[in-house]
Amino acid sequence: MLEMTRRTFMKASAGTTAAALAAPSMLHAMENELGGRDYNPDTLKERKAIPTNCHVCNIQDGAMAFVEDGRVVKLEGNPNHVSTRGRLCAKGNAGMWYSYDPDRIMYPLKRVGKRGEGKWKRISWDEALSEVTARIDDVLKNGDPNEIMLKYGRNRTGGVLHRFMDTLGSATVLNHTSVCESSKKVGMEPTWGPDIETPDFANSKYILNFGSNILEAAYFHNPYSQRITEGRVDSNAKIVTFDVRLSNTAGFSDEWIPVYPGTDGAVALAIGHVILREDLQDSGFITDWTNVTVEELKEHYRQFTPQWAEELSGVPADTIERIAREFALAKPATTYTYRGPAKHLYGAYNEKACMMLSIMTGNVEKRGGYCLPRGMGYGQPQPEPPKPKHGSILKNPPEFPLASHHVSHLVPFWIAEGRQKISVYINYMDNPVYTNPGSETVWGELFRNEELIPFRVVLTPFMGEEAQTADIILPELPYLERWEPESMPNSLWPWLGIRQPVIEPLGEGKEHRVYLQEIIHRLDPDGSRGMKQYWNFKDSEDYMRQQFENVPGLKEVGGLDWLKKHGVWPVYGKLNPATGKISDKTGREIRAEYGLHMKELSAADMLGASVDEKGIIHKNGKAIGVQRHGKNYVGFPSGSRLINVRVDEWAEYGFNPMPTFKRIPWHENLKDDEMILTTYKYNVHVQSRTASVKWLAEIVHRNWAPINTETAKRIGVKTGDLIRVESPVGHLVTKAYVTEGQHPNVIAISTGCGHWGYGRLAQLKLKEKGGQYGAQEDPDMNNVWWEDKGVHPNNIIPAVADPIGGSAGWYDTVVKVTKAKAGDKYGDTEASWDKHFEWYKKTMSFTYVGDAHRKMHPEMASWAGPDSVEPKEPSGH
Amino acid sequence: MIESREQPNTIDELKSRAHWYRLLAGVFAEEPQAPFLRELRSQACIESLAEVGVSFGEDFLATDEEMLLDDLAAEYTMLFVAPGGFPPVESVRLQGGYRQSASSEVRDAYTAEGFSVQSGRFAIFDDHLAAQMQFVAALLERQAEALAAAEEQEARRLEKTVKRFWIKHLGRWCRGYAQLVEEAAEHSFYREMARLLDAFVTAELDIMGLDVADEDGGKLRAPKPKAVTEPMQCGGAAT
Repeated sequence: MLEMTRRTFMKASAGTTAAALAAPSMLHAMENELGGRDYNPDTLKERKAIPTNCHVCNIQDGAMAFVEDGRVVKLEGNPNHVSTRGRLCAKGNAGMWYSYDPDRIMYPLKRVGKRGEGKWKRISWDEALSEVTARIDDVLKNGDPNEIMLKYGRNRTGGVLHRFMDTLGSATVLNHTSVCESSKKVGMEPTWGPDIETPDFANSKYILNFGSNILEAAYFHNPYSQRITEGRVDSNAKIVTFDVRLSNTAGFSDEWIPVYPGTDGAVALAIGHVILREDLQDSGFITDWTNVTVEELKEHYRQFTPQWAEELSGVPADTIERIAREFALAKPATTYTYRGPAKHLYGAYNEKACMMLSIMTGNVEKRGGYCLPRGMGYGQPQPEPPKPKHGSILKNPPEFPLASHHVSHLVPFWIAEGRQKISVYINYMDNPVYTNPGSETVWGELFRNEELIPFRVVLTPFMGEEAQTADIILPELPYLERWEPESMPNSLWPWLGIRQPVIEPLGEGKEHRVYLQEIIHRLDPDGSRGMKQYWNFKDSEDYMRQQFENVPGLKEVGGLDWLKKHGVWPVYGKLNPATGKISDKTGREIRAEYGLHMKELSAADMLGASVDEKGIIHKNGKAIGVQRHGKNYVGFPSGSRLINVRVDEWAEYGFNPMPTFKRIPWHENLKDDEMILTTYKYNVHVQSRTASVKWLAEIVHRNWAPINTETAKRIGVKTGDLIRVESPVGHLVTKAYVTEGQHPNVIAISTGCGHWGYGRLAQLKLKEKGGQYGAQEDPDMNNVWWEDKGVHPNNIIPAVADPIGGSAGWYDTVVKVTKAKAGDKYGDTEASWDKHFEWYKKTMSFTYVGDAHRKMHPEMASWAGPDSVEPKEPSGH
Repeated sequence: MIESREQPNTIDELKSRAHWYRLLAGVFAEEPQAPFLRELRSQACIESLAEVGVSFGEDFLATDEEMLLDDLAAEYTMLFVAPGGFPPVESVRLQGGYRQSASSEVRDAYTAEGFSVQSGRFAIFDDHLAAQMQFVAALLERQAEALAAAEEQEARRLEKTVKRFWIKHLGRWCRGYAQLVEEAAEHSFYREMARLLDAFVTAELDIMGLDVADEDGGKLRAPKPKAVTEPMQCGGAAT
């Protein structure tokens, strides 16, 4: 019999190690799988995995929910998702706490007592919908449909909200885009068509980043974090970041170049100046694909010298010269912007100036370059209601004819001025009382005013600063319980996805599609008012099935059924555990398609087409392509099919049609103790709805204001000291965080913290009364070790608006920062409606009909004035 | 092994206990409706409750029925439904969120005995106080029936099931919770019903001979919660 002792065991093992390693192994370590499966650590039972789309923020990452006993126990990335490739950020990992939040609203609530008093009565859905329907019906029968206003924040309903408002015949549909990125969109759309770019960071050699915190907060944070890291590591790309603060992205870059707020555009123009002066541009691309000549461009850029930009921005001319040469000579290269350049009085100009660098160097639609966004569409259930007969002045104010994404943050002033009567205000997932400039002082004031807003219905799963002043709250569902179609241009591979309920709705929460259908059916029970026909679906799944039933390619593999199973379509390949990238069947990384503008038109396309002297191909009254070098290309979706470096429509309104820069007038001649207030996001917080999410609140819950070391010395404060920040409309008291990583003229206050009406964690209600309240509320609150909820800045930020793009000039506020005064308490804030109103009037003077417009545009002296143009509704969405 | 210190149950005692469970479940299940409220305000009911020490204020005894229904609906919402309140749901009380594992555990317990939770006027969670109380009431009634039918083994099984449910669920949270409601309620109806709940639960544990630690934070004695909206304080540390 074979006998082994401990000694022989040890001795023999030395000689057999190699053989043991070479022996075939069937056991596979589960952690080597890159997601998609999960197990209960106690029972070892596999958890049910349901693919969906994350929606904590708006990046729309592919997600996988692991469900046990009908409960989401874990969230991960969906490994089938081509854009996010199995990764979720911290926010996405915490998403289930929305569903299980003890503060969640799960029943319709009706206010009792005064509006905003905070007292509620639970009512049945039938009572709630009867009242809402009656209010709407009264307007439809006795007033103007446009008196019914809907303002949405994060709207990913796939067209449901617009269907509802179109069915009612109201055009008063407002979004939140003016506090988001509208001037970026308006800077880009007339130039090349789409409202955003898709930089191919992963394959780039040089990345010029203007004001975007890609690794933490930008559009599109998760997928772009992955790609820019690949670019840095795999392609050895150089990254240069212009930003007023040392974000983690700036820190990750090869160079962080602090720039004076609002002057990115000047720096970009000066970089362009050097490129053109030294003949480093891609003349072939400019000639073939833009509506200007190289000579025109050179002539135009001659004015933007590095010395001129240095005076404005503080960026040394030598640095501008060097960066310009590096960028122009590195191929491929790309620019990228997010809100840094755009959130200013003339944000659209800034955006345009930045994108020009990718254009003039011919990096557009190249591998590693600056690419058009790739999106995919889906259908709408038929029939669809017609568009409303009459426009809304709140949605399309005539003073902002180019602001195609609206100027929603000025709406309170317009309502207060009586420009449009509002009888019913419907509020969907939108908290302007917190997120908009003026916050409580402006929007809170509006919402409390029952004469201006006689009836407010708020559609939300959570109480918030905006919901506090509702008359009725309808309990919408958090994202893990909803059906929604998705598509985002956040990678070079287009995709369609869905959000599907991974658990049953809690309580009596319902999703928008369901209760809006009920309202329409109550308004038009027998179909005689012509409304019911547009709401002909059995349930939300049926609605979604209709949306996906005719998508070519998806239809053939099963439409919605495919998406329910995989979460996303197409599945381009398999996530490779060795690389973290998607590989095709051969094991190689999938390749994107480039040169979309150079797709050739077919013979059928050309049938009946004509070509003009500039090579533009026309058919049926529209430009359909560009003829170059004997070939017929589709070109850019810009209307003209070229990149419109010169945007003629801007000139109609007295704006400069060419790339330019305008300094913010009130930034000139600042006193020594004046600074610019800017805002930013933390990597674990969105604008307004994460501060009460467990896990995330623990990571970041306060927002002491970063100021530069030298500035702090001048003021006489150190980290943790109270400071008073005074703007033209009010003041607040917060604490200083002293750092070298901050422009000396800038104070930054993040918008993620400092709630006063949302969630027990965000408000730290638990810490009131010596810690007892929270302990009784929620056992997790016993773990709350912090006592600081931060201070919110929006109350003291005036509602400036870009006269072109309509964007809020969020980073434009001049403030005086001093040591706190006697009696100042942390968190104090005070602002005045009247002062906000004065600033609203001031910003209106910069519109094309305002007094300041001409002064700001001496180069447009030949413009015939506002009476020379017919006001028209802006295009866009 | 559950040690029992109590006297053997009689059929009448079991039915009587079940009755109190059902009464209290009804109080906390939802906002009272008119028929229930009328019975609660009947002379007989008021007197019976007074015997065990329940002392309603004028806000309950002398208010017009329609107004009282409205007042109680608002009070119920603020205490148990609206954000910032404290729902009578075990998962929330002990695990910090709705529909955590307690919810599926009690559902399994109901299923094992052939029960499921249905919506009343409003949908409720499986681990809502009312559902848990009604479950125990139903088991006590069955126990009484088993005793009446001389099915002693079944009666013992049911008795153990009730005790196990108390040890794993009700006993862990509803005394502390009752104290919280008592402190927080503004209306004498909920204040007194919370006192009744506390007293009843304490008595029940004694009757069953159970010694279960209450883990609910409410036992710390709560201050009254404020309305959600307060004068604006835009940030800053809580004091």
